[in-house]
Amino acid sequence: MIVGMTVITVSILVTQITKNTFNKNNPNLDVVVGAKGSPLQLILSAIHHIDIPTGNISYQNALKIIKHPAIKSGIPISLGDNFQNFRIIGTNKNILKLYKANLKIGSIWEKPMQSIIGYNVANATQLKVDKFFVGSHGLIDTGDVHAEQPYKVVGILNKTGTIIDNLILTSLESVWSLHSNETNNIKNNSNLEVTALLLKYKNKSSVFSFPRLINKNTNMQAASPNFEISKLFKLTGNAHKVINYLSILIISLSFIGILFTLLNNINDRKYDLAILRTLGFTKRKVFSLILIEGMTISLLGSVIGLIIGCVMYTSMEHLSLIGRNMISIEYEFFLDLLLIWLIVIVTSFLTCLIPCIKVYNQNVRSTLLNS
Amino acid sequence: MLICKNLSFSIDGHKLFSNININVENQKDLLITGPSGIGKTTLLSILCGLQKPSGGDVLYNDINLYNLAENKIDHFRGNNLGIVFQSFNLINSFTVKQNLELANTVLNSQDNDYLYNLLHRVGLADKSHLKVSKLSVGEKQRLAVARAFIGNPKWIFCDEPTSSLDDKNTENITTFIKEESLRCKASLILITHDKRVQSILNFSQTLKLGEEL
Repeated sequence: MIVGMTVITVSILVTQITKNTFNKNNPNLDVVVGAKGSPLQLILSAIHHIDIPTGNISYQNALKIIKHPAIKSGIPISLGDNFQNFRIIGTNKNILKLYKANLKIGSIWEKPMQSIIGYNVANATQLKVDKFFVGSHGLIDTGDVHAEQPYKVVGILNKTGTIIDNLILTSLESVWSLHSNETNNIKNNSNLEVTALLLKYKNKSSVFSFPRLINKNTNMQAASPNFEISKLFKLTGNAHKVINYLSILIISLSFIGILFTLLNNINDRKYDLAILRTLGFTKRKVFSLILIEGMTISLLGSVIGLIIGCVMYTSMEHLSLIGRNMISIEYEFFLDLLLIWLIVIVTSFLTCLIPCIKVYNQNVRSTLLNS
Repeated sequence: MLICKNLSFSIDGHKLFSNININVENQKDLLITGPSGIGKTTLLSILCGLQKPSGGDVLYNDINLYNLAENKIDHFRGNNLGIVFQSFNLINSFTVKQNLELANTVLNSQDNDYLYNLLHRVGLADKSHLKVSKLSVGEKQRLAVARAFIGNPKWIFCDEPTSSLDDKNTENITTFIKEESLRCKASLILITHDKRVQSILNFSQTLKLGEEL
């Protein structure tokens, strides 16, 4: 029972929180343009920040795409550094509107090397407005820091329940300035690069034509977040199904275990139960005793399994960098867990009824005589 | 008052006894005798609500026992009857004290002083913490007798209560049964072949199964 509940709890949490995260992180973006490579990798790195980017694209090309007649709005992002594993994103101020993020304190950046930090970043790093920090090269903390050019925190964002909570935002110029050795002069637009473009169409009719245009005629790729994520769910969905079937099998076996344990117990104690009846314990009372015994095993087992499952999931979440960018603040998935738990309890109840009915129909005298 | 009218019992088509009529007034006693296999223990089970008769009625102060639902029969037995079974029917994995407490639980009683008093009088006070499985047959029999008097029952049924006892213990237990029945103002219905018991209790009426009444 404990093992079954643990497996099914972890499986539900992983499935639900992953779906929840992917849905919340995408603020209705239609398409993402980035360097050629895996389209799924592009989506996971540019929107969900749980993968490395496919490469960089020219800023000049990015500007041309934003001005394309099919595009309603576009936001360039530039990745490359982190602070304590929180990604530093070079972008423009429109990203705040896109994610409906508001400042809790401070102001938006005005100059290079100024930054605003997400709600979770502020909590985890204890960074405050007017404090400085140095970015570390790469997307995970390697210790290779840009010590010569620290960032200054100028604002902290309110909680949004999206990936923005886990990001450090700054201007594109800041990122270019830090990497000026690699990209030469900031003023020379032709050498500047960004990682990806987050785009919305003017109308949905461009959903087929625009990606084809980019993929065929440029050295960039256009990927649809919805398409890629549903493809990902299709792939992982089967694995989740297998895990869920496995946990249902384990739980079913535990029901059989409870049933036979109770039946064996009753068989061993049928003489004692008959004595209870001679002393005046009613049939109903003896029925309740067996039911309470069975339900205690089920309740304890299922609750312990549920707790272990939640603890295992939380540990996984804290131990992995990917897990940290999962949004576990929302609790809709508790309904799923509650539903599974209720199904387990109701099935346990029905299973326990079998030995209870056997006891209820026990013939006291023949039991005493046969013993 | 316990009244039985035309009681009969058959098992697999074989008639064990029939046309049994009993009338035991309150605080009176009845001795049941008869050869082995005649159905004395079965009759006792019928009187205690543990075995439905094939025919006839069992009435306790105008309550027709077998007209009650099974749960009510159990409840009636717990509150009004004290039974000493021939095979004792004690829970072996429980201690002496726990066996008595269990009987107390049915009555929602917490009177532990009374339990110790009973144990003292049947000579088991110093063995109250022992598991029943550690007791001798005679000690088990004395414990079974003590348990029957918990809750001041109005009818006491004993099935060969001295079969495993020596002379001294037979005298003690028989006296104990007599005194406790008087104290509880209970009627005593007893099955025995033991002449020692019959001489001490001096029954006012006798039912000889297998013979014409």
